[in-house]
Amino acid sequence: MSELETRLLDRGPSAAAAPKTELPSHKWTMLIDLDKCTGCNACVVACHVENNVPIRSEREVIRGHGQHWIRIERYWEGEGDAQRATFLPMLCQQCSNAPCEPVCPVYASVHSERENLNLQVYNRCVGTRFCGNNCPYRARQFNWFAPQFEGPITEMLNPDVTVRSGGVMEKCTFCVQRIRRVEEDALVEGRPLRDGEMVPACAQTCPTSAIVFGDRSDPQSQVAQRLGGQREFQVLEHLGTAPNVYYLKAGGSDGGAG
Amino acid sequence: MTEKISRRDFLRLGAAGAATGVLAGCTSPRRWVVLEPFVRPPEQQVSGVATWYATTCRQCPAGCGVIVRLMNGRAVKLEGNPEHPLNRGKLCARGQAGLQMLYHPDRLSGPLLQSTRGSREFSAIDWNEGINRLFQALEKAGPAVAVFGGATMSDHLFDLFSRLLAAVDAPAPVIYDLYTELGGYRMLAQAMGQVYGRAALPAYRLAEADVVFSFGAEFLGTWTSAVRYGVEYGAFRSQPYGKRGLLVHFEPRQSSTAVTADDYVAIAPGSEGLVAGALLRIIADGNLGLPGRAESARGLAPSLDVDQAARESGIPLEALQRWARRFAEAERAVAIPGGALAGSSNGMLAARAIEALNVVSGSAPAGVNTTPPDLGLARKSLNTFADVQSLIARMRAGEVQVLLIHSTNPAYELPAAAGFLEALAQVPLVVSFGPIVDETAVWSDLILPDRSYLESFGYEVVSPDFGSPVVSSQQPVVTPVFDARATGDVLLTVARGIPAAAAAMPWGDEVDYLNQMVAGLPEAAYPASTPEEKRARFQQHGGWWPAPAAAAPALRPQPFTVTAQRAAFDGNETDYPYFLHVYPSVLLSDGRGASLPLLQGVPDPMTTIAWQSWVELHPATAGRLEIRDGDLLRVTSPHGEIVAAAYVTPGIRPDTVAIPAGQGHQDLGRYARDRGSNVVQLLGAALTDEGGGLRWNGVRVALARTGKRIATASLESKVGVTEGLGYE
Repeated sequence: MSELETRLLDRGPSAAAAPKTELPSHKWTMLIDLDKCTGCNACVVACHVENNVPIRSEREVIRGHGQHWIRIERYWEGEGDAQRATFLPMLCQQCSNAPCEPVCPVYASVHSERENLNLQVYNRCVGTRFCGNNCPYRARQFNWFAPQFEGPITEMLNPDVTVRSGGVMEKCTFCVQRIRRVEEDALVEGRPLRDGEMVPACAQTCPTSAIVFGDRSDPQSQVAQRLGGQREFQVLEHLGTAPNVYYLKAGGSDGGAG
Repeated sequence: MTEKISRRDFLRLGAAGAATGVLAGCTSPRRWVVLEPFVRPPEQQVSGVATWYATTCRQCPAGCGVIVRLMNGRAVKLEGNPEHPLNRGKLCARGQAGLQMLYHPDRLSGPLLQSTRGSREFSAIDWNEGINRLFQALEKAGPAVAVFGGATMSDHLFDLFSRLLAAVDAPAPVIYDLYTELGGYRMLAQAMGQVYGRAALPAYRLAEADVVFSFGAEFLGTWTSAVRYGVEYGAFRSQPYGKRGLLVHFEPRQSSTAVTADDYVAIAPGSEGLVAGALLRIIADGNLGLPGRAESARGLAPSLDVDQAARESGIPLEALQRWARRFAEAERAVAIPGGALAGSSNGMLAARAIEALNVVSGSAPAGVNTTPPDLGLARKSLNTFADVQSLIARMRAGEVQVLLIHSTNPAYELPAAAGFLEALAQVPLVVSFGPIVDETAVWSDLILPDRSYLESFGYEVVSPDFGSPVVSSQQPVVTPVFDARATGDVLLTVARGIPAAAAAMPWGDEVDYLNQMVAGLPEAAYPASTPEEKRARFQQHGGWWPAPAAAAPALRPQPFTVTAQRAAFDGNETDYPYFLHVYPSVLLSDGRGASLPLLQGVPDPMTTIAWQSWVELHPATAGRLEIRDGDLLRVTSPHGEIVAAAYVTPGIRPDTVAIPAGQGHQDLGRYARDRGSNVVQLLGAALTDEGGGLRWNGVRVALARTGKRIATASLESKVGVTEGLGYE
C-alpha cells in the first residue's frame, strides 16, 4: 500500500487523531513578459491539446464562436504608417474578485480560496452564459455545439481532462489537472511543492519563456521575485477584478531573472 | 458463520490485495481468486500514470527533440525534450500539433493502386502486392530510377534511398521542397560557403548579442529553427545585469518578428542587400565603431551612393547612419540574412553583403565557423531548383522509368511553369509514400503509405547546429495506428531482390541498420559503455550529442567581394502595380500543416484569420481600389492568377501585397481540401542570378475586384477600426 493510500484511508472518522493531510493553500499566479512574447501561437496549440479544447469550424469562427482558452490578441499602436502591432496573450485572468462568479445561478462558477483559482464546475453548468457576459476579458468560451473529434483524433484526448459537452461554458483552468498531479506527488513524498514543479502547458512550451507560473505566497518563487517591477500591469486593472495574471510591458528588461 | 468485517477493514484488505487480487469470501480457509484482465496491458503501463518517450519532431526540417506523454498506450501530449541541445524543452505551434499527424482520420491504411492517374479512384491492395509491384518496376528500370524527396525525410531514409540509387547507378536523390525554398536553406548554405569556406546552414547566437539586425529573417515565426531562435530571443531580451539586446528588423511586411523588434522598417522589396551595403559604406567612410571595425568594413564595403541606396530602400538617411553607428559600436552585433533573400534575383549578393556585416563585427554564425567531427552518418544535402529542373528534364526525356516521391508534394509546391505534371506523364511508374493522399499522390500509380514520424525509427543530423553536432533519434512511441509500413523497411525488402542493392544494403530491417549506425557514434554526453547500452541510451535520451567541449577555433572568412544592387522583378509597373510578398504561414508553413485542424483552426497571429487564405493590402491601396475586408480579389501576375479574400492592414507597404503560402489544396485530407488559394500559382519558374534558386520573390501583381465577398473567419473584430460592420 502506497503512502498516499494509507493517508487517504486514515482520513476516516475513527482516525480523528491522525495528522492532518489537508492540501496546503497556494496563490497561483501567472506572469507574462510581453517583451518576450513573439505571438508564435505555441501556447495556443499546446493548450488545445492539453485541455481537449475543440477546434471550431470556419463557419463557427465567422459567427464569433472560435474557441481558445488562450489566444494571441493583436493590437495596433500609433498612427498612419508608424502603426506597429503588439501581441497580448489573453486567457482567464483567475480574478480574485471575479465578475463571473456572483452571476452564476447554479454555482458552476465558483472560487477556490485555497488555491486562488476560479473554478468552473462543468456538470453544474446549465448554460445561462451570464458568466461569459460578465467577463470583461472575454475569457469564457461557450460550447454552442458538442465538440467533434473525428476518427482516431479521439485517441489524443487527455484522460485527465473532461471533454465538455454542448451547452456548457468553459475556460482556462491554469491546468488544474497538472496542479492536482504535482500536489499529490508532493503529498506522497511528504514535502512541500517546489517552485517550477507546476508548469501549465502554455508556459512549458513557450520558446522564449515569456510565461512564468508559480505560487506567489512563496517569497522565493520566480513569480514572487519578479512581481512589483516598473513594467508590471494588469489588464483592465481599474475594474477592480484583481486578476492573478500579471503582464510585464514590452520594451524593457528586469535583468537576469528571465 | 460469517465473520464481521467493517467497511474500513474491507477497504484495507482490498487495497492490500492490489489491483489483481480480490477478497472472494470469508469462510475458512480463505480463498483468493486472481482476476485476469481481458486484455493484458504492456507491463510498463499503469492506468493513470504517464509514460514518456523521446523522439524527434518532423513537422519541419530542424529536428527538435520531443518527449511524448502516453496514457494507456495513447499519445496524448508532446513536449520539448529538455535535454535536447537544439530546442531545450520548448516546442512551436506546429510541433505541438504533431499528434494530429499520427491520429489523422484521413491517413491511409494499406497500399493503394490508381489505374488512371488523376481519377482519385484508388483500389486497395495488400502490402505484398504493393512491394512486389515496386520491386518488379525497379528490376526492369535499371538505372532509370529517380527519387524526389523533401527536407523532412529523415536522414536514415535518405541514406537508404541513396544506397539503393547508387547500387543501380542512378543519380542521387533530389531533395527539394517549398518550405526550405521559402526559408532560403540552400541559398544561405551556398553563401556561407563563399564567405567561410564551409557550406552549411548558419545558426546565429543571439542570447548574448547587443544588437541584432534582421534582414527579412522571420526567425521567430518559421525560419530554420523558430523554437531555438525563440529560446535565444528570450535570453537576448533579459541578459545578466539588466542588459537588453536591441533588435532591428527590415522587411516589406510586418511579420511577427517585425512586431517584436524594437525598430522596424518597411523597406522596399528586394533592397536588403542595398541596405547592408550602405551600412558597410557608412561604417567604412565614417570611421565608425570599435577599433578595427572601420578598417574591416573598408575592405568589404561595395562602391555605392549611400543617398541613393537610402532612397531606393525607403529608409531615411539619418536612420541608416544611426543604425550603422549602433552596429559598429556594439560589442556583439549580429546581422541575419533571411529566407526572403533566396527568392530575389540578387539573393546571393544580398546574403554576402549581410554576412559581411558579421565579418566586420566578428560574429560568425555557429554551424559554419568550425569543422564538425565526422560522425560516420549520412545526411541530406538540399538541392537547388535548377537540380529539380534537370530532374524534370530527365523525366520529360523518358530517362526516368520509376519515380519515387517521399516527404514532398511537387504537384502543389512547384509553379506550373516548372512543367512537373507534364513531365510526370512520361514516367511509367510514379510511387508516392505519402501517409495522406496529397496533390502528388493523385498523379501517382502506386501509394505505399509511410508511417507517421511518431511511429517510425530514424535519425536526423540536426541542422542548423548551434555550435555542437547533434544527432536526434526517432523511435516509435505508439503501436502503429494504421496499416502503414516504414518506407525504410520497404526499401530493404525490395533491395534484397536486386543483387547490387542487396550487397549495399545488407540489413534485415531498418532497426538493424540504425543499430549499426548508432554503434559507430563517438562518446556522448551521457555515459554508455556497451553497444547495446549505447543504442538504448540513444533512444532514451532522444539522440546523441557530445559533452560541451572548449570552443574550437573559428574559421577565418575567405576573401570575398560585396556588391549591392536592387532585385529584379517580373512584370512592368503599369500592368502589375504591386510587389508580391510571399511568406510561409506561421502555422501551415508551406502547406503541409494545412491537413491538421489544430493548425487550420488557430488564428494567424498578424491577421487573426483561421481556416482561410488572404491578400494583405495597405489601407491606402484598399481605399484607392475601394476594397473592403473579405472582398474576393483576382490577383494576376505574368505567370498566373488566383482569387483570394482581401485583408486590409496597416502592417504592409502601400506598394506591396502579401499572400501566405499554405492554403489552396485540392487534396491532403478533409481539413485542407478546397480552402483558399495557392500563391505558388502566381510564380514563374525563372532562376535567381546566382546559385540556381527559384526566383519566387521577384513577381509583380495586379489586383481586381471580382464583385464577390466572403465573411472573414477572424478572431478580431474590426468594428470601428477599418470597417463599419464586422460582416454581412
